Amino acid sequence: MTLKRKKIWIAKQDTEYWKGMAMDQIAIGFRDAVELLMTGDKELYGIVGLSLMVSLSSVAISTLIGVPFGAVIGTHNFPMKNALLRIIYTFMSLPPVIAGLVVFLLIMRRGPFGSWGLTYTPAAMIIAQVCLVVPIITGLTYNIVRDKAPRVKALAVTLGAGKIDSLKLLIFDLRIGILAAIVTGLGRALSEVGAVMIVGGNIKGKTRVMTTYIAQLKSMGDYSTAIAVGIVLLILAFLINTFLYNVQQKVE
Amino acid sequence: MMLQMENLIKEYDERRVLDIGEVTIGAGALCGIIGPNGSGKSTLLNIIAGLMKPTSGSLLYGDERKPAAPYRDMTLVFQAPYLIRTTVWKNIAYPLKLRGWDSKQIEERVGELAEDLGLTPFLKQKGWKLSGGEMQKVALARALSFRPKLLLLDEPTANVDPSTTAEIEKMLGKINGQDKTTIVVVTHDLIQARRMCGEIVLLDKGKVIEHGKTEEMLKAPRHESTKRFLAGELLT
Repeated sequence: MTLKRKKIWIAKQDTEYWKGMAMDQIAIGFRDAVELLMTGDKELYGIVGLSLMVSLSSVAISTLIGVPFGAVIGTHNFPMKNALLRIIYTFMSLPPVIAGLVVFLLIMRRGPFGSWGLTYTPAAMIIAQVCLVVPIITGLTYNIVRDKAPRVKALAVTLGAGKIDSLKLLIFDLRIGILAAIVTGLGRALSEVGAVMIVGGNIKGKTRVMTTYIAQLKSMGDYSTAIAVGIVLLILAFLINTFLYNVQQKVE
Repeated sequence: MMLQMENLIKEYDERRVLDIGEVTIGAGALCGIIGPNGSGKSTLLNIIAGLMKPTSGSLLYGDERKPAAPYRDMTLVFQAPYLIRTTVWKNIAYPLKLRGWDSKQIEERVGELAEDLGLTPFLKQKGWKLSGGEMQKVALARALSFRPKLLLLDEPTANVDPSTTAEIEKMLGKINGQDKTTIVVVTHDLIQARRMCGEIVLLDKGKVIEHGKTEEMLKAPRHESTKRFLAGELLT
Protein backbone atom coordinates (compact mmCIF):
# COMPACT_ATOMS: atom_id res chain seq x y z
CA MET A 1 0.00 0.00 0.00
CA THR A 2 1.42 3.34 -1.01
CA LEU A 3 1.73 6.10 1.56
CA LYS A 4 -0.99 8.16 -0.13
CA ARG A 5 -3.45 5.25 -0.16
CA LYS A 6 -2.59 4.46 3.47
CA LYS A 7 -3.40 8.06 4.48
CA ILE A 8 -6.74 7.87 2.66
CA TRP A 9 -7.53 4.56 4.42
CA ILE A 10 -6.70 6.05 7.83
CA ALA A 11 -8.81 9.15 7.14
CA LYS A 12 -11.72 6.93 6.13
CA GLN A 13 -11.41 4.85 9.28
CA ASP A 14 -11.23 8.06 11.29
CA THR A 15 -14.42 9.42 9.70
CA GLU A 16 -16.23 6.14 10.35
CA TYR A 17 -15.02 6.22 13.97
CA TRP A 18 -16.36 9.76 14.56
CA LYS A 19 -19.65 8.95 12.82
CA GLY A 20 -20.05 6.06 15.20
CA MET A 21 -19.07 8.24 18.12
CA ALA A 22 -21.68 10.89 17.22
CA MET A 23 -24.43 8.29 16.96
CA ASP A 24 -23.32 6.86 20.31
CA GLN A 25 -23.44 10.30 21.92
CA ILE A 26 -26.99 10.90 20.66
CA ALA A 27 -28.08 7.45 21.90
CA ILE A 28 -26.45 8.06 25.29
CA GLY A 29 -28.08 11.51 25.30
CA PHE A 30 -31.54 9.94 24.96
CA ARG A 31 -30.80 7.51 27.80
CA ASP A 32 -29.41 10.30 29.98
CA ALA A 33 -32.40 12.53 29.24
CA VAL A 34 -34.77 9.87 30.56
CA GLU A 35 -32.50 9.29 33.54
CA LEU A 36 -32.22 13.01 34.32
CA LEU A 37 -35.97 13.43 34.21
CA MET A 38 -36.72 10.29 36.21
CA THR A 39 -34.14 10.86 38.95
CA GLY A 40 -35.31 14.41 39.56
CA ASP A 41 -31.90 16.00 39.05
CA LYS A 42 -32.13 19.18 41.14
CA GLU A 43 -29.76 21.19 38.99
CA LEU A 44 -31.62 20.28 35.82
CA TYR A 45 -35.01 21.12 37.32
CA GLY A 46 -33.61 24.47 38.48
CA ILE A 47 -32.39 25.20 34.95
CA VAL A 48 -35.70 24.08 33.41
CA GLY A 49 -37.63 26.22 35.88
CA LEU A 50 -35.53 29.31 35.14
CA SER A 51 -35.80 28.72 31.37
CA LEU A 52 -39.55 28.53 31.64
CA MET A 53 -39.76 31.56 33.90
CA VAL A 54 -37.60 33.71 31.61
CA SER A 55 -39.25 32.61 28.35
CA LEU A 56 -42.86 32.72 29.57
CA SER A 57 -42.36 36.09 31.30
CA SER A 58 -40.77 37.63 28.23
CA VAL A 59 -43.54 36.26 25.98
CA ALA A 60 -46.26 37.49 28.36
CA ILE A 61 -44.75 41.00 28.45
CA SER A 62 -44.19 40.97 24.68
CA THR A 63 -47.81 39.92 24.12
CA LEU A 64 -49.08 42.81 26.24
CA ILE A 65 -46.96 45.23 24.18
CA GLY A 66 -46.96 43.61 20.73
CA VAL A 67 -50.61 42.64 20.27
CA PRO A 68 -52.18 46.10 20.93
CA PHE A 69 -49.27 47.79 19.10
CA GLY A 70 -49.72 45.56 16.02
CA ALA A 71 -53.49 46.03 16.14
CA VAL A 72 -53.20 49.83 16.34
CA ILE A 73 -50.73 49.94 13.42
CA GLY A 74 -53.01 47.65 11.42
CA THR A 75 -56.08 49.81 11.96
CA HIS A 76 -54.64 53.32 11.63
CA ASN A 77 -52.90 55.32 8.96
CA PHE A 78 -50.30 57.85 10.08
CA PRO A 79 -47.20 59.54 8.71
CA MET A 80 -44.08 57.35 8.53
CA LYS A 81 -46.16 54.16 8.90
CA ASN A 82 -44.24 52.40 6.12
CA ALA A 83 -40.93 53.36 7.68
CA LEU A 84 -42.11 52.02 11.05
CA LEU A 85 -43.20 48.76 9.42
CA ARG A 86 -39.82 48.33 7.76
CA ILE A 87 -38.12 48.84 11.12
CA ILE A 88 -40.42 46.27 12.75
CA TYR A 89 -39.78 43.74 9.96
CA THR A 90 -36.02 44.31 10.31
CA PHE A 91 -36.22 43.80 14.06
CA MET A 92 -38.15 40.56 13.52
CA SER A 93 -34.85 39.08 12.35
CA LEU A 94 -32.71 40.94 14.87
CA PRO A 95 -29.64 38.82 15.72
CA PRO A 96 -29.92 37.86 19.42
CA VAL A 97 -26.28 38.73 20.13
CA ILE A 98 -26.92 42.32 19.01
CA ALA A 99 -30.01 42.58 21.23
CA GLY A 100 -28.01 41.08 24.10
CA LEU A 101 -25.09 43.43 23.54
CA VAL A 102 -27.27 46.55 23.44
CA VAL A 103 -29.19 45.54 26.57
CA PHE A 104 -25.91 44.70 28.29
CA LEU A 105 -24.43 48.11 27.42
CA LEU A 106 -27.54 49.81 28.79
CA ILE A 107 -27.64 47.90 32.07
CA MET A 108 -23.91 47.42 32.74
CA ARG A 109 -22.61 49.10 35.88
CA ARG A 110 -21.31 52.13 33.96
CA GLY A 111 -24.32 52.21 31.58
CA PRO A 112 -27.32 54.57 31.78
CA PHE A 113 -29.32 52.04 33.83
CA GLY A 114 -26.34 50.67 35.74
CA SER A 115 -27.73 51.83 39.08
CA TRP A 116 -30.63 49.38 38.71
CA GLY A 117 -28.24 46.46 39.31
CA LEU A 118 -29.66 44.29 36.55
CA THR A 119 -26.42 42.87 35.17
CA TYR A 120 -26.33 39.06 35.17
CA THR A 121 -29.85 38.69 36.53
CA PRO A 122 -32.93 36.86 35.16
CA ALA A 123 -34.58 40.30 34.81
CA ALA A 124 -31.89 41.32 32.32
CA MET A 125 -32.48 38.09 30.40
CA ILE A 126 -36.22 38.83 30.24
CA ILE A 127 -35.53 42.38 28.96
CA ALA A 128 -33.23 41.03 26.24
CA GLN A 129 -35.82 38.46 25.16
CA VAL A 130 -38.61 41.06 25.17
CA CYS A 131 -36.49 43.07 22.68
CA LEU A 132 -36.41 40.01 20.42
CA VAL A 133 -40.02 38.84 20.81
CA VAL A 134 -41.93 42.16 20.69
CA PRO A 135 -41.11 42.81 16.99
CA ILE A 136 -42.19 39.25 16.08
CA ILE A 137 -45.57 39.48 17.83
CA THR A 138 -46.12 43.07 16.62
CA GLY A 139 -45.27 42.27 12.99
CA LEU A 140 -47.34 39.10 12.84
CA THR A 141 -50.30 40.73 14.61
CA TYR A 142 -50.14 43.64 12.16
CA ASN A 143 -50.30 41.24 9.21
CA ILE A 144 -53.29 39.40 10.66
CA VAL A 145 -55.14 42.60 11.58
CA ARG A 146 -54.44 44.52 8.34
CA ASP A 147 -56.67 42.33 6.15
CA LYS A 148 -59.63 41.89 8.44
CA ALA A 149 -59.58 45.15 10.36
CA PRO A 150 -61.79 47.25 8.04
CA ARG A 151 -64.71 44.81 8.25
CA VAL A 152 -64.44 44.16 11.98
CA LYS A 153 -64.01 47.86 12.69
CA ALA A 154 -67.03 48.79 10.56
CA LEU A 155 -69.07 46.14 12.34
CA ALA A 156 -67.96 47.27 15.79
CA VAL A 157 -68.68 50.92 14.99
CA THR A 158 -72.14 50.22 13.57
CA LEU A 159 -73.03 48.21 16.66
CA GLY A 160 -72.12 51.10 18.91
CA ALA A 161 -68.60 50.19 20.06
CA GLY A 162 -66.18 52.97 20.97
CA LYS A 163 -62.49 52.97 20.03
CA ILE A 164 -61.36 50.75 22.90
CA ASP A 165 -64.26 48.30 22.44
CA SER A 166 -63.53 48.16 18.68
CA LEU A 167 -59.91 47.26 19.39
CA LYS A 168 -60.97 44.66 21.95
CA LEU A 169 -63.40 43.11 19.46
CA LEU A 170 -60.71 43.06 16.78
CA ILE A 171 -58.24 41.26 19.06
CA PHE A 172 -60.96 38.85 20.23
CA ASP A 173 -62.10 38.09 16.70
CA LEU A 174 -58.58 37.47 15.42
CA ARG A 175 -57.44 35.58 18.52
CA ILE A 176 -56.55 32.37 16.65
CA GLY A 177 -54.09 34.17 14.38
CA ILE A 178 -52.77 36.20 17.30
CA LEU A 179 -52.23 32.99 19.28
CA ALA A 180 -50.14 31.69 16.38
CA ALA A 181 -48.07 34.90 16.58
CA ILE A 182 -47.55 34.32 20.32
CA VAL A 183 -46.51 30.69 19.72
CA THR A 184 -43.93 31.92 17.18
CA GLY A 185 -42.63 34.41 19.75
CA LEU A 186 -42.43 31.66 22.36
CA GLY A 187 -40.41 29.53 19.95
CA ARG A 188 -37.93 32.38 19.57
CA ALA A 189 -37.70 32.90 23.35
CA LEU A 190 -37.24 29.22 24.21
CA SER A 191 -34.58 28.57 21.60
CA GLU A 192 -32.65 31.80 22.05
CA VAL A 193 -29.09 31.56 23.41
CA GLY A 194 -26.99 34.55 22.30
CA ALA A 195 -28.79 37.35 24.14
CA VAL A 196 -29.31 35.49 27.43
CA MET A 197 -25.69 34.36 27.38
CA ILE A 198 -24.45 37.97 27.09
CA VAL A 199 -26.75 39.59 29.64
CA GLY A 200 -27.15 36.60 31.96
CA GLY A 201 -23.64 35.23 31.89
CA ASN A 202 -24.73 31.56 32.34
CA ILE A 203 -24.07 31.69 36.09
CA LYS A 204 -24.76 28.33 37.76
CA GLY A 205 -27.85 28.45 39.94
CA LYS A 206 -28.57 32.07 39.03
CA THR A 207 -28.85 32.74 35.31
CA ARG A 208 -28.16 29.36 33.73
CA VAL A 209 -30.90 28.31 31.32
CA MET A 210 -31.15 25.26 29.09
CA THR A 211 -29.75 26.82 25.92
CA THR A 212 -26.73 28.40 27.62
CA TYR A 213 -26.16 25.14 29.54
CA ILE A 214 -26.14 23.18 26.26
CA ALA A 215 -23.60 25.61 24.80
CA GLN A 216 -21.42 25.21 27.88
CA LEU A 217 -21.67 21.40 27.92
CA LYS A 218 -20.66 21.33 24.26
CA SER A 219 -17.58 23.43 24.92
CA MET A 220 -16.69 21.05 27.76
CA GLY A 221 -17.04 18.08 25.43
CA ASP A 222 -19.93 16.57 27.45
CA TYR A 223 -22.02 15.84 24.37
CA SER A 224 -24.35 13.25 25.86
CA THR A 225 -25.53 15.58 28.66
CA ALA A 226 -25.88 18.39 26.11
CA ILE A 227 -28.10 16.13 24.00
CA ALA A 228 -30.05 15.12 27.12
CA VAL A 229 -30.75 18.76 28.06
CA GLY A 230 -31.63 19.45 24.40
CA ILE A 231 -34.19 16.64 24.49
CA VAL A 232 -35.70 18.04 27.68
CA LEU A 233 -35.94 21.43 25.94
CA LEU A 234 -37.69 19.82 22.98
CA ILE A 235 -40.13 18.00 25.27
CA LEU A 236 -40.94 21.30 26.99
CA ALA A 237 -41.49 23.07 23.68
CA PHE A 238 -43.71 20.18 22.58
CA LEU A 239 -45.81 20.33 25.76
CA ILE A 240 -46.29 24.12 25.59
CA ASN A 241 -47.17 24.01 21.90
CA THR A 242 -49.58 21.12 22.48
CA PHE A 243 -51.32 23.15 25.17
CA LEU A 244 -51.60 26.20 22.89
CA TYR A 245 -52.74 24.04 19.97
CA ASN A 246 -55.50 22.59 22.16
CA VAL A 247 -56.58 26.11 23.16
CA GLN A 248 -56.71 27.01 19.45
CA GLN A 249 -58.76 23.90 18.64
CA LYS A 250 -61.17 24.68 21.47
CA VAL A 251 -61.72 28.17 20.10
CA GLU A 252 -62.28 26.75 16.61
CA MET B 1 -85.91 59.03 13.61
CA MET B 2 -86.41 61.44 10.72
CA LEU B 3 -83.66 61.85 8.11
CA GLN B 4 -83.22 65.10 6.22
CA MET B 5 -80.71 65.38 3.39
CA GLU B 6 -79.92 68.61 1.65
CA ASN B 7 -77.50 69.09 -1.24
CA LEU B 8 -75.50 66.00 -0.31
CA ILE B 9 -72.58 65.65 -2.66
CA LYS B 10 -69.88 62.99 -2.79
CA GLU B 11 -66.95 63.26 -5.15
CA TYR B 12 -63.98 60.98 -5.81
CA ASP B 13 -61.10 62.71 -7.56
CA GLU B 14 -63.46 65.36 -8.95
CA ARG B 15 -65.82 62.62 -10.20
CA ARG B 16 -69.25 63.26 -8.73
CA VAL B 17 -70.84 59.98 -7.65
CA LEU B 18 -73.67 61.40 -5.57
CA ASP B 19 -75.65 64.61 -5.84
CA ILE B 20 -78.80 64.57 -3.76
CA GLY B 21 -81.00 67.66 -3.74
CA GLU B 22 -83.55 67.50 -0.96
CA VAL B 23 -84.79 64.25 0.47
CA THR B 24 -86.67 63.76 3.73
CA ILE B 25 -87.41 60.32 5.08
CA GLY B 26 -89.99 60.61 7.81
CA ALA B 27 -89.78 59.01 11.26
CA GLY B 28 -91.20 55.47 11.19
CA ALA B 29 -90.94 55.16 7.39
CA LEU B 30 -89.86 52.02 5.60
CA CYS B 31 -88.02 53.49 2.66
CA GLY B 32 -86.41 51.63 -0.20
CA ILE B 33 -83.51 53.06 -2.15
CA ILE B 34 -83.52 51.52 -5.60
CA GLY B 35 -81.60 52.06 -8.77
CA PRO B 36 -79.30 50.34 -11.24
CA ASN B 37 -75.74 49.29 -10.41
CA GLY B 38 -73.45 52.25 -9.85
CA SER B 39 -76.33 54.62 -9.19
CA GLY B 40 -74.92 55.60 -5.77
CA LYS B 41 -77.27 53.57 -3.54
CA SER B 42 -74.56 52.11 -1.32
CA THR B 43 -72.65 55.40 -1.23
CA LEU B 44 -75.77 57.15 0.04
CA LEU B 45 -76.36 54.43 2.65
CA ASN B 46 -72.74 54.58 3.84
CA ILE B 47 -73.00 58.36 4.18
CA ILE B 48 -76.21 58.04 6.19
CA ALA B 49 -74.50 55.35 8.29
CA GLY B 50 -71.58 57.71 8.93
CA LEU B 51 -69.03 55.30 7.42
CA MET B 52 -68.33 57.78 4.64
CA LYS B 53 -68.13 61.56 4.75
CA PRO B 54 -69.96 63.60 2.11
CA THR B 55 -67.90 66.13 0.18
CA SER B 56 -70.52 68.76 1.02
CA GLY B 57 -74.14 69.14 2.06
CA SER B 58 -76.09 68.53 5.21
CA LEU B 59 -77.67 65.51 6.79
CA LEU B 60 -79.90 65.74 9.84
CA TYR B 61 -80.76 62.81 12.11
CA GLY B 62 -83.94 63.96 13.81
CA ASP B 63 -82.95 67.42 14.96
CA GLU B 64 -79.25 66.68 15.25
CA ARG B 65 -76.62 67.42 12.63
CA LYS B 66 -74.19 64.83 13.94
CA PRO B 67 -75.34 62.80 16.93
CA ALA B 68 -72.78 62.56 19.74
CA ALA B 69 -73.06 58.77 19.77
CA PRO B 70 -74.75 57.98 16.44
CA TYR B 71 -74.69 54.20 16.80
CA ARG B 72 -76.48 54.24 20.13
CA ASP B 73 -79.70 54.61 18.15
CA MET B 74 -78.93 53.45 14.64
CA THR B 75 -77.16 50.59 12.95
CA LEU B 76 -76.34 49.11 9.57
CA VAL B 77 -76.72 45.56 8.29
CA PHE B 78 -74.19 44.79 5.55
CA GLN B 79 -74.91 42.86 2.38
CA ALA B 80 -72.34 40.22 3.32
CA PRO B 81 -72.92 39.54 7.02
CA TYR B 82 -69.87 39.49 9.24
CA LEU B 83 -70.30 37.47 12.38
CA ILE B 84 -67.94 37.65 15.33
CA ARG B 85 -66.00 34.38 15.73
CA THR B 86 -68.12 33.09 18.56
CA THR B 87 -71.57 31.59 19.12
CA VAL B 88 -74.80 32.91 17.64
CA TRP B 89 -76.00 33.80 21.14
CA LYS B 90 -72.92 35.92 21.85
CA ASN B 91 -73.22 37.62 18.47
CA ILE B 92 -76.78 38.74 19.19
CA ALA B 93 -75.90 39.70 22.77
CA TYR B 94 -72.82 41.76 21.81
CA PRO B 95 -74.53 45.17 21.27
CA LEU B 96 -76.50 44.68 24.49
CA LYS B 97 -73.32 44.03 26.49
CA LEU B 98 -71.86 47.21 25.01
CA ARG B 99 -74.91 49.07 26.30
CA GLY B 100 -74.60 47.60 29.77
CA TRP B 101 -77.79 45.52 29.79
CA ASP B 102 -77.92 43.04 32.67
CA SER B 103 -77.69 39.31 31.96
CA LYS B 104 -81.41 38.64 32.57
CA GLN B 105 -82.47 41.35 30.11
CA ILE B 106 -79.94 40.05 27.56
CA GLU B 107 -81.19 36.49 27.97
CA GLU B 108 -84.78 37.58 27.39
CA ARG B 109 -84.05 39.79 24.38
CA VAL B 110 -81.80 37.23 22.65
CA GLY B 111 -84.42 34.51 23.21
CA GLU B 112 -87.18 36.73 21.85
CA LEU B 113 -85.27 37.64 18.66
CA ALA B 114 -84.11 34.06 18.11
CA GLU B 115 -87.72 32.92 18.37
CA ASP B 116 -88.92 35.54 15.88
CA LEU B 117 -86.24 34.71 13.32
CA GLY B 118 -86.19 30.94 13.81
CA LEU B 119 -82.69 30.99 15.26
CA THR B 120 -83.38 29.21 18.56
CA PRO B 121 -81.83 25.86 17.44
CA PHE B 122 -78.63 27.66 16.39
CA LEU B 123 -78.00 29.79 19.49
CA LYS B 124 -75.14 27.63 20.79
CA GLN B 125 -73.59 27.08 17.35
CA LYS B 126 -70.52 28.88 16.06
CA GLY B 127 -71.61 31.71 13.78
CA TRP B 128 -69.25 30.88 10.93
CA LYS B 129 -70.64 27.36 10.62
CA LEU B 130 -74.10 28.60 9.55
CA SER B 131 -75.44 28.96 6.02
CA GLY B 132 -75.50 32.37 4.31
CA GLY B 133 -79.21 32.88 5.03
CA GLU B 134 -78.87 31.93 8.68
CA MET B 135 -75.88 34.24 9.03
CA GLN B 136 -77.89 37.10 7.57
CA LYS B 137 -80.68 36.43 10.07
CA VAL B 138 -78.16 36.46 12.93
CA ALA B 139 -76.78 39.78 11.64
CA LEU B 140 -80.33 41.15 11.54
CA ALA B 141 -81.13 39.88 15.04
CA ARG B 142 -77.90 41.46 16.32
CA ALA B 143 -78.80 44.78 14.67
CA LEU B 144 -82.32 44.72 16.12
CA SER B 145 -81.25 43.63 19.59
CA PHE B 146 -80.95 47.13 21.08
CA ARG B 147 -84.12 48.42 19.34
CA PRO B 148 -82.48 51.03 17.09
CA LYS B 149 -84.53 54.03 16.03
CA LEU B 150 -82.95 53.96 12.57
CA LEU B 151 -82.08 50.70 10.80
CA LEU B 152 -80.08 50.77 7.58
CA LEU B 153 -79.82 47.68 5.38
CA ASP B 154 -77.61 47.20 2.34
CA GLU B 155 -79.25 44.60 0.08
CA PRO B 156 -79.99 42.31 3.04
CA THR B 157 -81.54 39.54 0.94
CA ALA B 158 -79.17 39.63 -2.03
CA ASN B 159 -77.55 36.30 -1.17
CA VAL B 160 -80.34 34.40 0.56
CA ASP B 161 -83.04 31.95 -0.53
CA PRO B 162 -86.72 32.96 -1.01
CA SER B 163 -87.95 31.53 2.31
CA THR B 164 -85.25 33.40 4.28
CA THR B 165 -86.05 36.52 2.25
CA ALA B 166 -89.69 36.18 3.31
CA GLU B 167 -88.70 35.76 6.98
CA ILE B 168 -86.45 38.83 6.86
CA GLU B 169 -89.10 40.94 5.13
CA LYS B 170 -91.71 39.81 7.68
CA MET B 171 -89.40 40.75 10.55
CA LEU B 172 -88.66 44.17 9.06
CA GLY B 173 -92.37 44.82 8.59
CA LYS B 174 -93.01 43.76 12.19
CA ILE B 175 -90.44 46.03 13.83
CA ASN B 176 -91.42 48.91 11.54
CA GLY B 177 -95.05 48.48 12.58
CA GLN B 178 -94.56 47.72 16.28
CA ASP B 179 -91.53 49.75 17.28
CA LYS B 180 -91.96 52.51 14.65
CA THR B 181 -88.34 51.97 13.66
CA THR B 182 -87.31 54.01 10.63
CA ILE B 183 -85.91 51.58 8.07
CA VAL B 184 -83.89 52.48 4.98
CA VAL B 185 -83.19 49.52 2.75
CA VAL B 186 -81.07 49.49 -0.38
CA THR B 187 -82.31 46.96 -2.90
CA HIS B 188 -82.07 46.35 -6.61
CA ASP B 189 -85.20 44.22 -6.47
CA LEU B 190 -88.18 46.30 -7.52
CA ILE B 191 -90.67 43.59 -6.58
CA GLN B 192 -89.20 43.39 -3.10
CA ALA B 193 -89.34 47.17 -2.76
CA ARG B 194 -93.00 47.06 -3.75
CA ARG B 195 -93.71 44.31 -1.19
CA MET B 196 -91.91 45.95 1.69
CA CYS B 197 -91.52 49.67 1.32
CA GLY B 198 -94.01 52.43 1.92
CA GLU B 199 -91.85 54.86 -0.02
CA ILE B 200 -89.13 54.62 -2.63
CA VAL B 201 -86.19 56.76 -3.64
CA LEU B 202 -85.07 56.01 -7.19
CA LEU B 203 -81.46 56.90 -7.87
CA ASP B 204 -79.62 57.03 -11.15
CA LYS B 205 -76.08 58.26 -11.76
CA GLY B 206 -75.98 59.61 -8.24
CA LYS B 207 -79.10 61.76 -8.56
CA VAL B 208 -82.59 61.28 -7.18
CA ILE B 209 -84.84 60.60 -10.14
CA GLU B 210 -88.01 60.26 -8.14
CA HIS B 211 -89.05 59.97 -4.50
CA GLY B 212 -92.53 59.15 -3.36
CA LYS B 213 -95.07 56.67 -2.06
CA THR B 214 -94.41 53.25 -3.56
CA GLU B 215 -97.88 52.60 -5.00
CA GLU B 216 -98.23 56.10 -6.45
CA MET B 217 -94.81 55.92 -8.01
CA LEU B 218 -95.36 52.51 -9.50
CA LYS B 219 -98.82 53.36 -10.83
CA ALA B 220 -98.06 56.80 -12.18
CA PRO B 221 -94.35 57.49 -12.48
CA ARG B 222 -93.68 61.15 -13.11
CA HIS B 223 -90.28 60.83 -14.65
CA GLU B 224 -89.35 59.22 -17.95
CA SER B 225 -86.35 57.40 -16.39
CA THR B 226 -88.64 55.92 -13.72
CA LYS B 227 -90.95 54.56 -16.41
CA ARG B 228 -88.00 52.99 -18.21
CA PHE B 229 -86.56 51.54 -14.98
CA LEU B 230 -89.93 50.10 -14.00
CA ALA B 231 -90.23 48.61 -17.47
CA GLY B 232 -86.96 46.80 -16.83
CA GLU B 233 -84.90 48.88 -19.22
CA LEU B 234 -81.28 49.63 -18.53
CA LEU B 235 -80.79 53.25 -17.59
CA THR B 236 -77.83 54.60 -19.50
